[in-house]
Formats: sequence, C-alpha cells, structure tokens
Amino acid sequence: MVDALTEVHRVLASRGTLVDARPDSRVLAYAERRTERGFQRYGIIRTNTVELAADRASDRAIAEIKRRMLFRGKRQGRFWHRVAFDNLADLRQYLVEHLRFVHRARWVVDEATRRRHAKDPFVIRRAVRYEILEKTSGL
Amino acid sequence: MSEAVGVVGRHVPAFSSSLRPNALYELGEWGGERLVRRKRVLDLGCGDGRFALAIAPLARSMDGLDPDPDAISAAKKNARKSDSRNVRFRVGAAQQLPYDDGAFDVVILSWTL
Repeated sequence: MVDALTEVHRVLASRGTLVDARPDSRVLAYAERRTERGFQRYGIIRTNTVELAADRASDRAIAEIKRRMLFRGKRQGRFWHRVAFDNLADLRQYLVEHLRFVHRARWVVDEATRRRHAKDPFVIRRAVRYEILEKTSGL
Repeated sequence: MSEAVGVVGRHVPAFSSSLRPNALYELGEWGGERLVRRKRVLDLGCGDGRFALAIAPLARSMDGLDPDPDAISAAKKNARKSDSRNVRFRVGAAQQLPYDDGAFDVVILSWTL
C-alpha cells in the first residue's frame, strides 16, 4: 500500500490533493427499521476480522506516508451512510453476501419483534471516514 | 441514536440511491466542488466509473484506473452512455501508475485503500 501511495505522490502535481475515503470499521454499523418517525435500532453489525486487519494496514500506510513527509493531513471527518432494504430478509441476505461485515447482526430486539416487523423497510447505517491530504516534498 | 450521530458525524440523506454514498454527496462531505473544479483528477480504483463519471463534469479532465478489465469495460460503456468527453479509463495497477510525474491535481481513493 505504501508503494501505491508513493506512486500517487509521484503523479500528483506540487501541493496536489489526495483523498482517502473508506468505510470506518472502527465504528459499529447498525441494522435499523425505518419507522414513521425515523429509525429504530434492531441490531449491531461488526466488520469481519480480515477486513479489520486490512483497514488497520491502510491506516498504517497513511501514517507511514505522513511520517515520510510525502503528504500532510489537511482535514478529516466522518459521515453516516444508509443502505436501504425492502425488508429484513433482504438485509439479512445482504449480510450473508457482504465481504466486509460479519454475516449475522447481533440483534438488540427480541425475535418476536423482528418477526412482527420483518416486512418493514430496513437500513444498514454505517460510518464512512475520509481524509484530505496534501502532497509535500518528502524527507 | 442521536448521540451516535454526534460522535461520528452527519448523516447522508437517508436512502441513497445505491449501495455506496451518492458521489456528489460524498464530494460535498470532502469539501465540495472546489476540490475538483477545473482540475486534473485521477480516480484510483475507479471500478465501473460510478464516481468518476459523476464528478467528471466539474473537472478539467478525469482519469480512472482499475486493475479489473471487466470493470474498466463497464466504465467505458457507462462513459459512452453519459457522453462524457473529458474521461479516460484504463486498466492498471496502483503500484505502477501509467501516468507522467505531476500529471494530476487530485487523486481520489474512494473505498479503494
């Protein structure tokens, strides 16, 4: 990854901008039922261990290019992104196939409640992080 | 739930149209159109060009690179559909970028790193 970021440094003009944006696995994702008033939390969704390790490797790569003074961080932030599903079955199927998340949510409502609202619209709400970096001259 | 919003940040408008955040919304979060306006932009790991094509009208030029030939084929097809004239897509690896030194003002790694 550091190799790729070094290449990015090469192809950027002086003081050019690098944007690194990706899902934030340091923050839990949530399964939520859409209600008339908003959203009700039904479950917690973790990122799988392989992706957590990959995310940490990405973090280390960004830290390394900063340490080498190839880039300096200008700004960073996070926002929420909601992925919509027609019903709970669709959400569960999405999790089964998803490459980043664990395949099952940890439910925070009982089974009867889930069954009662299984045909309601659901979302997965997850955090997305970004960092804006500026090219510098390097060590 | 509201406390979590405070900790993490603001919400994307609910029910974005795709499984990824809307490209222009995401750009807005990063700082808005001025980040790419009239600039030479590279979308590294562009996939089917979803992000690149959405912001291409703002940029001077937009290049997309992805190691997956199928994704690049799809991106080129999408570019033809959208009639984007300042967009180029090619297959390549991030570790060996097929571009000259200093060729871009902005490089975007959107869900890539």
